[in-house]
Amino acid sequence: MITDDIFELVSYRVCEEAHIRVSREVCQGCTHRACTFTCPARCYEWNAEKKRIDFAYEACLECGTCLIICDRGALEWHYPKGGFGVRFRLT
Amino acid sequence: MKTYDVVVVGAGPAGITASLRMAREGLKVLLLERGDAPGSKNMFGGMLPYAPLVEELLPCFWDQAPWERHVVKRTLTVLAKKSATSLVFESEGFDGPPYSGYTLFRPIFDGWYAQKATEAGVRLLTGCLAEELLMHEGAVSGVTVGREKGEVAAPAVIVCDGVLSLLAKKAGLYRPPEASDMALGIKALFHLGEEEIDERFNLVRRQGVSQEFRGCTEGIRGGGFIYTQTETLSVGLVLHLDSLKKSGTPPYELFERFCSLGQVRKILKGARMREYSAHVLPEGGYRGIPQLYTGGLLLAGDAAGLCYANGLNMEGMNLAIASGFFAAETVIDAFSKGDFSARQMARYENRLRESFVLRDMKTFAKTTDLMHNDRLFSAYPQMVGTIMEEIFKSDGKPRKSLGRICREAARVLPIGQLIADAFKGGRSLI
Repeated sequence: MITDDIFELVSYRVCEEAHIRVSREVCQGCTHRACTFTCPARCYEWNAEKKRIDFAYEACLECGTCLIICDRGALEWHYPKGGFGVRFRLT
Repeated sequence: MKTYDVVVVGAGPAGITASLRMAREGLKVLLLERGDAPGSKNMFGGMLPYAPLVEELLPCFWDQAPWERHVVKRTLTVLAKKSATSLVFESEGFDGPPYSGYTLFRPIFDGWYAQKATEAGVRLLTGCLAEELLMHEGAVSGVTVGREKGEVAAPAVIVCDGVLSLLAKKAGLYRPPEASDMALGIKALFHLGEEEIDERFNLVRRQGVSQEFRGCTEGIRGGGFIYTQTETLSVGLVLHLDSLKKSGTPPYELFERFCSLGQVRKILKGARMREYSAHVLPEGGYRGIPQLYTGGLLLAGDAAGLCYANGLNMEGMNLAIASGFFAAETVIDAFSKGDFSARQMARYENRLRESFVLRDMKTFAKTTDLMHNDRLFSAYPQMVGTIMEEIFKSDGKPRKSLGRICREAARVLPIGQLIADAFKGGRSLI
């Protein structure tokens, strides 16, 4: 199946520092949590137990979807430091 | 502090073209790229439509550039629940140089193109993120770069940092986009082999195909695409972000289902997935274009919102090249006058207005609205399928006239809606 393999096919040079910061307090009031399903790299996940958004920046494709889709200003969105982050080989 | 004549941010087609043009004029140009190599951050469909401007910079550009296949065949496939209707256009006119469009790999193409710029004297710094704009007396006067928080001074900065343009935001030129003015492109690269691609698409001699699909996005505004490279296929979806958000569907799940549709599955049989990528792209059309200049600064390429989809063509890379070229001309002009004020920089917009760049964007201004009509992606593809099926179906019953078939198929929509859509569609396309 495609979605089993697709995320393994991306190369990264992961920076120690997260380039996107998510304000969990602001996320609390969100009704749609669209970041959890629109992010093409599955970086956002709703943690039902802890009732918060869990975010992992390492697999980020720097595509900008979350930046556009978040209508509450919960994200502090930067590019990774120069030379870090996703690294497309051919696409 | 290091000083240059011009700093160009982003070594994509806009930034490289601008740098090359200015270096040819003897300007001292610094080109910054945040990726560790040009093209490593770029996601592309895609096809580069022929752009004659580059030949002014590099004679025989198209003979030298590392492209994959020249596109001779353009297919539009409308998918309904159980059928596919295709419009195939193939031209002998597209089969000789100058070709009409080229498929290519961005890391390879951009890398080659950037090398041409460095050979012309441009200083290229990769792995270098431009973070802030330096300001002097209300005009942009340089940038700060991530590396040791260094400052680079230049009387002119050309910003080509892509659709999200964080620098345009800092220059105050950025309007926060509506989700409906942005689309998400996701794609996978599949390896199939040259002979197999030639056979499946009926191609010879590095001929290539672009195929667009409608009605394959489960009612979400958007479409699918397949482009042929020499040995690989680029297969993906473009989805309007507001519509995707409303659907509640993850894009990769849509993609998986797209790849399993009969029409796509047959093409991909035996192909091996090699790479996955995704990026947003500007879909705001003409009215989504921000102000393109301020004192000491110009925007080009996706940062300037120069990209359009009119249902048949999807263009951006050629607009990026041309806007980079005209940005360079504007800066060269500014140097000859020693004036980098907003008033002087405004000439950039005039140049774009006189060229195909803003003319094309304007021609298809209304088409952008048409492409935001939900019915185009659900009801109408089904209708096309129903009509074609009625025409070709043989079941022993008397045949209906084409008029009656169309009337019956159209009953799924209120008549007022149909007329309004036909009127709007007609007006935007014709």
